[in-house]
Amino acid sequence: MLRAGLPTLLIALLASGCLLPPQPATDAGQDVFNLYLIVLALAAVVFLGVEGFIIYAVVRYKRQPGDDVLPEQHHGNNLIEIIWTAIPTVIVLVLFVFSMNALARVEARAENPGATIVVDGFQWNWTFRYENGAQVNSQGGNPPDLAVPVGEPVRLVLNALDVNHAFYVPQFLIKRDLIPVGENGTPNELEFTVTEAGTYAGQCAEFCGTAHADMVFTVTAMPRAEYDEYVEALASGSPPPQPGGGDCETTIAITANNTQFDIDAFEVPADTPFCIEFENQEAVPHNVAIYDGGEALFTGEFLNEPGSITYEVPALPAGEFRFICDAHPQAMVGDVTVTE
Amino acid sequence: MATTTLEPRAGSYRRSWVIDWLTTVDHKKIGILYIVNSFLFFFAAGILALVIRSELAVPGLQFVDQDTYNQAFTMHGTIMLFLFIIPALSGFGNYIVPLQLGAPDMAFPRINALSFWLLPLGGLLIFSGYLFGGAAAEGWTSYTPLSNRAEGVGTDLWIIGLTLVGTASILGAVNFIATIFKMRAPGMTLFRMPIFVWTILVTATLILLATPVLTAGLIALFIDRNYGGSFFDPSVGGNPILWQHIFWFFGHPEVYIVILPAMGVVSEVLPVFSRKPLFGYKAFVFATIGIGLLSFSVWAHHMFTTGAVALPFFAFMTTLIGIPTGVKMFNWLATMWRGKLTLATPMLFAIGFLSMFLIGGISGVMLGQPPFDFHVQDTYFVVAHLHYVFFGGAVFGVFAATYYWFPKMFGRKLNEPLGKVHFWIHFIGFNLAFFPMHQLGLDGMPRRISDYDPNAGWTLLNFASTVGAFMVAVSVIPFLINVIATFINGEPAGDDPWEGNTLEWATTSPPPAYNFDRLPPIHSERPLFFLTHGHGHAAARPADLEEEEADGPAATDDKPGDIERRPEDLV
Repeated sequence: MLRAGLPTLLIALLASGCLLPPQPATDAGQDVFNLYLIVLALAAVVFLGVEGFIIYAVVRYKRQPGDDVLPEQHHGNNLIEIIWTAIPTVIVLVLFVFSMNALARVEARAENPGATIVVDGFQWNWTFRYENGAQVNSQGGNPPDLAVPVGEPVRLVLNALDVNHAFYVPQFLIKRDLIPVGENGTPNELEFTVTEAGTYAGQCAEFCGTAHADMVFTVTAMPRAEYDEYVEALASGSPPPQPGGGDCETTIAITANNTQFDIDAFEVPADTPFCIEFENQEAVPHNVAIYDGGEALFTGEFLNEPGSITYEVPALPAGEFRFICDAHPQAMVGDVTVTE
Repeated sequence: MATTTLEPRAGSYRRSWVIDWLTTVDHKKIGILYIVNSFLFFFAAGILALVIRSELAVPGLQFVDQDTYNQAFTMHGTIMLFLFIIPALSGFGNYIVPLQLGAPDMAFPRINALSFWLLPLGGLLIFSGYLFGGAAAEGWTSYTPLSNRAEGVGTDLWIIGLTLVGTASILGAVNFIATIFKMRAPGMTLFRMPIFVWTILVTATLILLATPVLTAGLIALFIDRNYGGSFFDPSVGGNPILWQHIFWFFGHPEVYIVILPAMGVVSEVLPVFSRKPLFGYKAFVFATIGIGLLSFSVWAHHMFTTGAVALPFFAFMTTLIGIPTGVKMFNWLATMWRGKLTLATPMLFAIGFLSMFLIGGISGVMLGQPPFDFHVQDTYFVVAHLHYVFFGGAVFGVFAATYYWFPKMFGRKLNEPLGKVHFWIHFIGFNLAFFPMHQLGLDGMPRRISDYDPNAGWTLLNFASTVGAFMVAVSVIPFLINVIATFINGEPAGDDPWEGNTLEWATTSPPPAYNFDRLPPIHSERPLFFLTHGHGHAAARPADLEEEEADGPAATDDKPGDIERRPEDLV
């Protein structure tokens, strides 16, 4: 008798201890959270009722040794069948109504969102593009950070560059898939209002290949003024595309395609500025950045589309460094040797 | 019952044991082949599960690299579903359905052999990716365009293997349907069929309607990958969402393909070990058919976050499935109510099914609510849910069936104490492995990730889950010892060790090749119970019985005035 009860009791204890999502940081998330509480309450009633009956039946109706008398043979009862068809019907219909109410609020679209930001998802990183042309990529192995204004509706245009991905911030309690739609399709959108300033961890939630687990990002929600300042600084901070053929003594040519660099090492003289002619041959964001361990010595501008750019790299001291694509720090890596 | 053994003609040829099993068209031997084959794949996919859980026990990549991890969960899901659960329950169907119908074999014995032998072939092809540069690694759902772009032949082998497995189940389904409609014993009307046969009938119908869709989708994907098709790849004008529709149009009925036969097993075991008939037999049949029908209108609830489906419609249809499922649960509970419960191992697994499948059912209704799904879709909450359905539901059903029908198949009863040890380690390990995943999902841990942030707060629950997974693995040991020990020196079972209700218990254990010498009269879904107890009341009518028995099976055709009615019909 106890044997059947204990694990069930264990489950119940586990359940009462937690079984809640994180405190929502968005208004849509609050609606999801409230709906979940209703769902959880109904679930708890059904769970305890049925499991309770199972335990009761096992204890109460256990056949005693030597008892050969048949119990009464109930074959069924139509009235009872009707009643217990009605019970789950009522439960699920009530649930459906609550659920549709919450859905309407979660899916509500603002006429003029406070910010519309394009999210490019690709294997296995993110690019966030703002209305003023500024963009953010991951840098030096740090996840890219999406800045959003707090307290205003934010609309994300979810653009998949290769395979399916999903934009998911657990504390927002919502997610939406990024699906490659080809030239004529309309990408998905996701809208939410972050209610509390802060930084939130997010990651891709739709399996997208080898390094799916590494496809992380952060969202930083900040007051409007701060947000405007940040995005503006971002835009002015990114240098305008430089015309090719700069005035360089040493020029290194690097090409990116299929998430690979065509070379895995190059050598330049120390203490002399040099140029990198970088060509991106695919519609996936790439750049070239040079690192000394975790410290960025040079960060080249991203090319999101096929095209070329000439980076003017400042003089480097002699030593061994790495060059990587900031969006693909695992797959696109090479060695830089700076010689005296 | 007395049986006579038919001896082959004197001087007839002798075949080796191996050739005999390789060439058999006997549904019982094929059933056993199905089950043994399924358990072998179960152990293989179980080892992959341990690889997954070991890697996730603590943060950081300790044992495998990302690609190996991705292959492991892809193969784990594919093998468990397509080569363990479905074939295992088909195997019991193969063995038991003709016996429960009072038939000598399946309708098409050679097709039956074919549909079995395609399975190991398909399974080995799927696995053989490991020999050729890596198995498929896109998840068992193999979403496009990821699977369009995946390099290596592993994915092609996965497609070909699954196409064979799908073909096997379509052939098997045709065979079941033909057998059930054409080969029932005299007197066995549709509403006197054992409930297990009903669930197999509905399952076979679902397979027949759903599996060809998957097979067609797989072939389209193969064309996309190898011959420049443009079904699913958006860069050449294809539609990646189309694959999700095709996959889940199969994939959701597939859930019921898995769970309905397990429900059938439980509906056989509960009445026998409660010494009562299944409460509300007809309601149960209608609920089974209802689940089957609804299962074709809910597939897009797997796609709520794609932004490409009608949320209210699919949410509504999904929620409706809770109704027939609820009716079944109430009928099971009412079957135990005021019964006399013997807690033998098959019954423990059946009760385990009720209590675990309940959790999977509840979390399923939760996931059917789109706003909540937006939070937990593709997280460990889904992993928890599907394991409570497939493992807590179907696998408990497979073990209930194994302990229940083993005496019929081999003439010996599995050892009870070892069976109980197996059950309890299995039950506790299962809950330890999968219950914490609900919380991980609510906390936002995505599925199919090989590693997680040590600061995410997911470590403790992941570790607990890994411990649970190893407990489940350990629970297999007493089971295997039990099977081996029973073969060596098991307690002889006799024809009817459990006081069964249905016809398989009316023949010897194991049954002769032709199954029955003679059949008892069939006046209800419990012909054996009727034989021993009359209509469940003291008022058995031995005189009538003797008369009918004397006529033998050839004469059991019901004459118009002779049809027995069940007591509730008379009330």
